[in-house]
Parts: sequence; C-alpha cells; structure tokens
Amino acid sequence: MDIIKINDLVKRFPVGKGHFTAINKINLSFGKGEFAGFVGPSGSGKTTLLNIIGSLDTPSEGSTIVMDKSISELSHKQAARLRNMYIGFIFQTYNLLPVYTVFENVEFALLLQNISASERKKAVMEALEWVGLTDKVKSKPNMLSGGESQRVAIARSMVKKPEIVLADEPTANLDSKNSHHILQTMKTLNKELNVTFIFATHDEKVMKYLNRIITLEDGKVVSDKENKS
Amino acid sequence: MIKFIFKGILRDKSRSLLPIIVISLGVFLTVLLSGWIGGVFSDMIDVNANFITGHVKILTRAYAENKNQLPNDLALLDVEELITNLNSDYPDMEWVKRINFGGLLDVPDENGETRAQGPAVGRAIDLLSPDSKEADRMNIVNSIVKGSIPAKQGEALISDDFAEKFSVNIGDQVTVFGSTMNGSMMFKTFIVSGTISFGTALLDRGAIIIDISDAQLALDMYDGASEILGYFNEGSYIDAKADSVKASFNTKYSSVDDEFSPQMFKLRDQEGLDQYMTLADSMSGIMIFIFILAMSVVLWNTGLLGGLRRYSEFGIRLALGERKGHIFKTTIYEAIIIGFIGSVVGTALGLGAAYYLQENGIDFSSIMENVTMMFPPVYRAVVSPDLFYIGFFPGLIAMTLGNALAGYAIYKRKTAQLFKELEV
Repeated sequence: MDIIKINDLVKRFPVGKGHFTAINKINLSFGKGEFAGFVGPSGSGKTTLLNIIGSLDTPSEGSTIVMDKSISELSHKQAARLRNMYIGFIFQTYNLLPVYTVFENVEFALLLQNISASERKKAVMEALEWVGLTDKVKSKPNMLSGGESQRVAIARSMVKKPEIVLADEPTANLDSKNSHHILQTMKTLNKELNVTFIFATHDEKVMKYLNRIITLEDGKVVSDKENKS
Repeated sequence: MIKFIFKGILRDKSRSLLPIIVISLGVFLTVLLSGWIGGVFSDMIDVNANFITGHVKILTRAYAENKNQLPNDLALLDVEELITNLNSDYPDMEWVKRINFGGLLDVPDENGETRAQGPAVGRAIDLLSPDSKEADRMNIVNSIVKGSIPAKQGEALISDDFAEKFSVNIGDQVTVFGSTMNGSMMFKTFIVSGTISFGTALLDRGAIIIDISDAQLALDMYDGASEILGYFNEGSYIDAKADSVKASFNTKYSSVDDEFSPQMFKLRDQEGLDQYMTLADSMSGIMIFIFILAMSVVLWNTGLLGGLRRYSEFGIRLALGERKGHIFKTTIYEAIIIGFIGSVVGTALGLGAAYYLQENGIDFSSIMENVTMMFPPVYRAVVSPDLFYIGFFPGLIAMTLGNALAGYAIYKRKTAQLFKELEV
C-alpha cells in the first residue's frame, strides 16, 4: 500500500515577472518501508520534492497525497500535525538546538504530542539506544562530534516513530567512516521499524545503501530504478 | 513546554542575559529619573512653602495688595484668637505666625558709633517655644555656619555673608533700624548668636532672623503678625485640600468690605507658583514620556533582534511539527518572563537609587550662590507609589511587543518561504 502518492506534480517559484519551474509533471509513489532517494545535480528539484512531501511546501499543480492527506488541501495546523505525527526530518547541518542536552533535543518532538514525562523518557532512551548514544544524554550539541550530532538528529526524527523520514543530504558534512555509520543505523531502523526513508543526495556513499534510486534532472524524473548494489 | 522554555532562557545567555540587562537598565533609569524629577519639583515647591507661602497663607486684604512693601501697618491683629479658631476649624493642620520686616542693620564699633551698615530683610519666627517646628521647617540648624540658634530673647542670627563682609563675630551686637507697626522709628539691638547661610541669595542677602516675640515687641505688634501660614500635617502640598480650606476660611472670616479682614491664599495663588506647578507637571510628564518612548524603542529592538537571531531554531521547530501559532505563543511567553525579570530588577535598582537620593540628595548650593530665585540648595529624589509601576509596565510591554513583532513576521510568512529563509 502506498503511503505517498505524487500525481502530475508541478512546482513553480516566482522569479522576477516570470517563474521558475522546479518540479515538472512528476508522478511517483512510495510504499511503506522503502529506502529510496532522489539523486541529481543541484537545482534538479530534490529538496523541493522533499519539502512538498514533508508538507513544508505546497504544489502549484497536481497532487501529493501523504498518509491519505492531500498536501495542497491542508491548513497550517493540519500540516503541522502531519509533520508532528508521521514525518521526521534529518538535515545536512544536524540543526540541534544548542542550549538543550541530547536528551532534551530528542524529547522536544514528543513535547508537542502531550505525552507524559515517563513515556517521553522511555521513548527518548529507546531512540538514543537505536543510535548508540545512551551515554551522551546530558551532553550538549557542542560537546558532540559531527557523526554523533547526526545520530542525535536521527534519534530526534525517529523518537515519535514516524511513518516517513525525509533526509536532505544527511552525510554532506560527515567523513566517510561516520557516513557509513549513519547510513548503517538508518538502514537498520528501516528494517526493524519498517519506516520509509527518502533521501535527497548526490553522495555516492548514500546511493550504495538505497533500494530505489530516482534520478531527477531539471525537475523531471529521468530514471526510477531498483538499486541492487 | 513552559519548563522547556525556562531551561532555554536560563541557559542561553544571549537570549536572557542581554535583554534582561537592557530592560533592567532602561527601567532603572526610568524609575530613577521619574523619582528625581518628581523630587526636584517637589523640593522646589516645599522650599517655597516652608519659607514663603505655606500650604496656605493668611494676610489682611490690604497687606496682600501691598505685600512687596512688607507693610506691617496693615498686618493681622488678634492673631492668637485667630489661630485658636483655626486650630479648632482645621485640626489636621499646623498654623504658625510670622513677621517680615525691612530696615537697616547697623554694626557699631567699640565706642558705639556706626562701623558698618547695610539693608536688612528680617524674618521673625517662633524660635523659642519648645514645641515649635519652625526652625526645622526652615532648616535653620543645618544652615548655621557659626554659633548657634537663638536661645533667648534679644538674640539673632544674621547672614553669614553680612557677618563676613563687616567682620561681625558671635556675641557682637547689631542694631536694626526700621519703623514700628504704627509708623514710629524703631531701634532694637540684638546679640549675634550665630551666622546663617541657606545657600540661596534670595534668603541670604542681608538676612536677620529673630524670635517672633522680639519682633512683636520691637515693632509694637503685640498679638500681631504679618502673616499666618498653614501646613498640612501630611507634610506635602495637596491642591484640592488647599482649595477646600481656602474656600471655607474665606467664606467664614473674610469680608470684601473690610480691608483688614483676613484673607486666605493657597500655595498656587502665590509667587507665580500656579504657572510653575502647571509647567512642572507638564515638563515631568513630557520628559518621562520621551524617556519611556526611547527605552521602549531600544527594548523593542532588542526583542526584535532576539527573535531574528533564533530564526534557525524556529525553522527546526516548524519541521518537527510545531505550529507557527505555537512558536509565536511561546516566543511571547519568553518575552513576558524576560520582561518581568528585567522589570523587577530594574524597578528594584531604580527604587534603591531613588531612595538613596531621597535620603542624601545632591547639593547644588555652590553653583546657585548668586541665584535670586527660590531654589532649594539640595535636590532630592522622592520615592512615590507611581515609581513601582512607571518603569515596570513599559519594560514588560516593550519587550513583549518587540518579540511579538519578530514573531508576527514568522507567523505571517508562508511555511515554505520561511523554511528557506530559516536556512535549515
């Protein structure tokens, strides 16, 4: 069963008096538990597509259905709720909140869900265990390495047990060893929790881990194939 | 979530410490300035009340019309009876009689011949009654340069300037030449018990201060006085109360057909103080308004910068599924907490500084030696109830408004546009 359905999606951005078409008539669907990625050069529309799937942006034309919700028809509140309940984000620059501890950074997503303190603690510790950082609960982000920071970001995206995790260039700031460690962690979570991971990347290391590679160019899908490497 | 916000405020010094310092400073200055301005104007009114006008003053109608000439031939008579009636009619006020007179002050040599002479402005007040507050009211003890306050009849305080100029020492004799109430020549010799300087040329130039019983004797003013001054027991001038007392007194005692009937004037009726007090009210209001406005702009800007600095954090929170409205709301909560802390600290510091200046004041007498207007030599702040909120609310509101404005920009942006700007 598809949890993401994209039909004839077009996204235009105003540029001067005209507009720039970032996404041009894309049709795609993703099933539960996929480990897929958008690849392509800069400006090919990868991040725009992730933003629309993540309900941070809306289509200009066509439809994007995520968890049976049409993104273009969602109000601000409904879009926020969709992100909060079903979608996790991982960013290139980790984007941890610097004044909060590792525990509090991961806990933050749950604070928005009115979950009791004891349940939050249990969920946070579980998420940190998945990424192997239970010994860093009281550390602040500036005390962590890049790899550890990205693992905290993964725990933060996974703590609410989302259906979909959208990762935008998650290894761009990491060395090879940490990149593999991160990707291995995400792959394991994908298998164990059956969470759908969708990447935007042009990193060869990431591509090796993907089960499905969708190549974009000038806002169009130029190939969509299984990856058996 | 509140706990989460608190942790952020406590740990992020640039989010809390800087705004709290700015707010505290702004509120501190507002409170101190308000207290200072209020105190300065109040001091100027008090010094006029204590030396010249009282909170209300009673003169004969004829004396009032010619008061600049100190016309004691038109002075009040039967003052003891009048004061008894006043004490009965207005028991929450204190009534004092005074005599003002002009003349020449003569300093004799060892042979009793004139050695030096100068114009004198005499003030006769109740110095010798044990329960008299006049010496305190006119700050005489603290203003004595040499010697002491008269302890018995026949003693006088003279201006220190005069004493220096004519080499008059404590224990020397001086003679006042003038005219009695009935127009006869008056000669009265006093022993100088001390010299005095109020720090204001208007009061110090040729001044001689004697007990009122001496003046009554010398000027043939038995049971008479130039004026009776009334003071509210509250200590400060209350215009509405003065209006009420004046109206009831004049109705009861004053007659337009009798030029020797007593007539009451309130402080604002005298010496151009009405215009001064109106100006003072306006000036202090305008100055405080301008200061609060300037402080609000600074605090507003601080709030705005604080909000803009946290754009990235807001972006992350949006991605995690927090609603824009919720981010806006928490930003306002933070501003209220920070504004509250800063305003409390600023108000406390401002009140402390205002209290210090209320108790100690700043002495400007050295730069007002030649000023001939009625200015107090020492200016003090006054701690009044309005100081508890005059800086507090602007501090709180300006901080909240600044953050609200920053938050509003986030609230009104499309999420996608905002997300790009947030550089997440």
